[in-house]
Amino acid sequence: MNYFPDEVIEHVFDFVVSHKDRNSISLVCKSWHKIERFSRKEVFIGNCYAINPERLIGRFPCLKSLTLKGKPHFADFNLVPHEWGGFVLPWIEALARSRVGLEELRLKRMVVTDESLELLSRSFANFKSLVLVSCEGFTTDGLASIATNCRHLRELDLQENEIDDHRGQWLNCFPDSCTTLISLNFACLKGETNVAALERLVARSPNLKSLKLNRAVPLDALARLMSCAPQLVDLGVGSYENEPDPESFAKLMTAIEKCISLRSLSGFLEVAPLCLPAFYPICQNLISLNLSYAAEIQGNHLIKLIQLCKRLQRLWILDSIGDKGLVVVADTCKELQELRVFPSDVHGEEDNIAAVTEVGLVAISAGCPKLHSILYFCKQMTNAALIAVAKNCPNFIRFRLCILEPHKPDHITSQSLDEGFGAIVQACKGLRRLSVSGLLTDQVFLYIGMYAEQLEMLSIAFAGDTDKGMLYVLNGCKKMRKLEIRDSPFGNAALLADVGRYETMRSLWMSSCEVTLGGCKRLAQNSPRLNVEIINENENNRMEQNEEDEGEKVDKLYLYRTVVGTRKDAPPYVRIL
Amino acid sequence: MAKEGLGLEITELRLGLPGDNYSEISIWGSKKKKRVLSDMMISSSLNTEDENGVVSSLVDESLPVVKSQAVGWPPVCSYRRKKNNEEASKAIGYVKVSMDGVPYLRKIDLGSSNSYNNLATVLENLFGCLGLGVAKEGKKCEYIIIYEDKDRDWMLVGDVPWQMFKESCKRLRIVKRSDATGFGLQRD
Repeated sequence: MNYFPDEVIEHVFDFVVSHKDRNSISLVCKSWHKIERFSRKEVFIGNCYAINPERLIGRFPCLKSLTLKGKPHFADFNLVPHEWGGFVLPWIEALARSRVGLEELRLKRMVVTDESLELLSRSFANFKSLVLVSCEGFTTDGLASIATNCRHLRELDLQENEIDDHRGQWLNCFPDSCTTLISLNFACLKGETNVAALERLVARSPNLKSLKLNRAVPLDALARLMSCAPQLVDLGVGSYENEPDPESFAKLMTAIEKCISLRSLSGFLEVAPLCLPAFYPICQNLISLNLSYAAEIQGNHLIKLIQLCKRLQRLWILDSIGDKGLVVVADTCKELQELRVFPSDVHGEEDNIAAVTEVGLVAISAGCPKLHSILYFCKQMTNAALIAVAKNCPNFIRFRLCILEPHKPDHITSQSLDEGFGAIVQACKGLRRLSVSGLLTDQVFLYIGMYAEQLEMLSIAFAGDTDKGMLYVLNGCKKMRKLEIRDSPFGNAALLADVGRYETMRSLWMSSCEVTLGGCKRLAQNSPRLNVEIINENENNRMEQNEEDEGEKVDKLYLYRTVVGTRKDAPPYVRIL
Repeated sequence: MAKEGLGLEITELRLGLPGDNYSEISIWGSKKKKRVLSDMMISSSLNTEDENGVVSSLVDESLPVVKSQAVGWPPVCSYRRKKNNEEASKAIGYVKVSMDGVPYLRKIDLGSSNSYNNLATVLENLFGCLGLGVAKEGKKCEYIIIYEDKDRDWMLVGDVPWQMFKESCKRLRIVKRSDATGFGLQRD
């Protein structure tokens, strides 16, 4: 290869797309490292504190697309306090100062401000795509800046963000000359939408393939929007509340029938189930269906809809579908690859008779041979069921089971669920992500360490008996990248057994476990390439340096590898050792 | 792992076995800035059933909150959780109302009320109790109205904007002013 001129090698590298592969080729030799550096267009940074913007830009000056992730995963569940970090502004400022021609920015769990959005919109003439997932800190004013200034915007995708809706006219800010939109998702906005502005925008966007509306877009507007965008592939229906008069309903049906390219449906944020039949004609084309926010559609209506979706590959749904409904899914959706069943009753107040159990899970595993990813919330489980699932579906890549009540045993035998999960990890040789729940002893971790060779991410809650559990995992799962543990009796012995291990991982989270301040200090002592963060919000626990009790248990520990040392933007209650 | 609650659960009629609520692990150190009913001891000599339970949560934020689930459990992301709450409250619309000394519960459609004054009128009519103002100062009604919000805290009705109240109110109680301390109410 070294006999070829650089341009040729670079051309070959263009075909190497995955980040892992590109990282590998950059290690081959200096020459390849250099060529790879300058030809790299897309960079993925899994932890924004592992590196800093200056070094990123220094190494990849030609970068066009940047993906950044901020807070740890458990931040989704309110375990990470506000102001912890993950601020995107320094990144945007650095990129703006440099001569990087940024075209795409994808952020997850980061703090984004209107100021950063404004700066972003003004700094990159060719900016095309903004994707924000589970971010916070900005308002519709920031969106207005993006709409106003990004002349070539193709994608604005807002997923599950906390956005302060100033009920302004951000949609009006897209200039008339903006006709390049391919994807627009504002489903998470809470306020009123200027429907007229939206309709005009959609009408002048012939390339629009994905449109996801928020709850403020009513049914008749939906009919009009679909009429002027029959090319849509992905639709998020907003409000669907009132039962329409026959004329509106007829208009809606006509509009929907024309959308023969529609493959993905979501939303239904407020629903009148009687309107669902309007979508029956296109169900046979759907490959993705997300009804997990449609709390008001009852099981039987869901079932009628799903029965028509024979090509479905991805289904996100609420447990109100019931085991009965899952049996229908198993019978109908033979192409199903990914299933997520969310709890409709998060607080456990009602006696949810219709909720799903192990019966539904087994049915799905038996009926859907292509299933490889599952997230399943349920009230009960048995080892027998899990063993059956493992036998039916050895192809799982992601298996996340959440039994709602912590420590709950097999509801028939009252034993722990070690054997059930053991069967899963033994059968599913390609398993990369696993979440366990229910009553579990150290034994399950022995199985995981022994069999889960490809495991990259493991989530543990209310499980295990002793340090051995965590040790089995750390010693066995060589490919582990992210380990997150809460409310489990693992302590310093496990934490400190192999400190070097953590540099091979992205991060470790431990909250409400048995690790102590002393243990964390020892861990941090000889690890310059690890940031060991202690998060302690409780005022009463903050003591003076000389009064420190090394035996004091640490509330939340988050450690991650980094090449740039301690971060400077941590709030006072985060202590970095 | 379970930490002790205060032992003062809301003794209410509900379906399901006791202890069915996902282990009563307390929330530690949660930052709550609202005015929470504190040390409220409500007794009523006419109270026969345990319908009108006693609820007390401490203002001291480092102590456990009564009967709560573990923070962040089940692991449903907060965005989804909020949507879930909104749906639940929108779907119901009707909230239970109990009044001290009255042995039965009533239900009202909160969805059809449009203001605090409106609500007060509705409640007055329901319980035949006059002067049931929701204001804290000024009105010297014998009774005040409190409500349980999404976080299971008892709050004084009238503190927050109407819409916010509507979305977070799960149930209402009408209690004697003299029995309710900790809301910054003026004594008669």
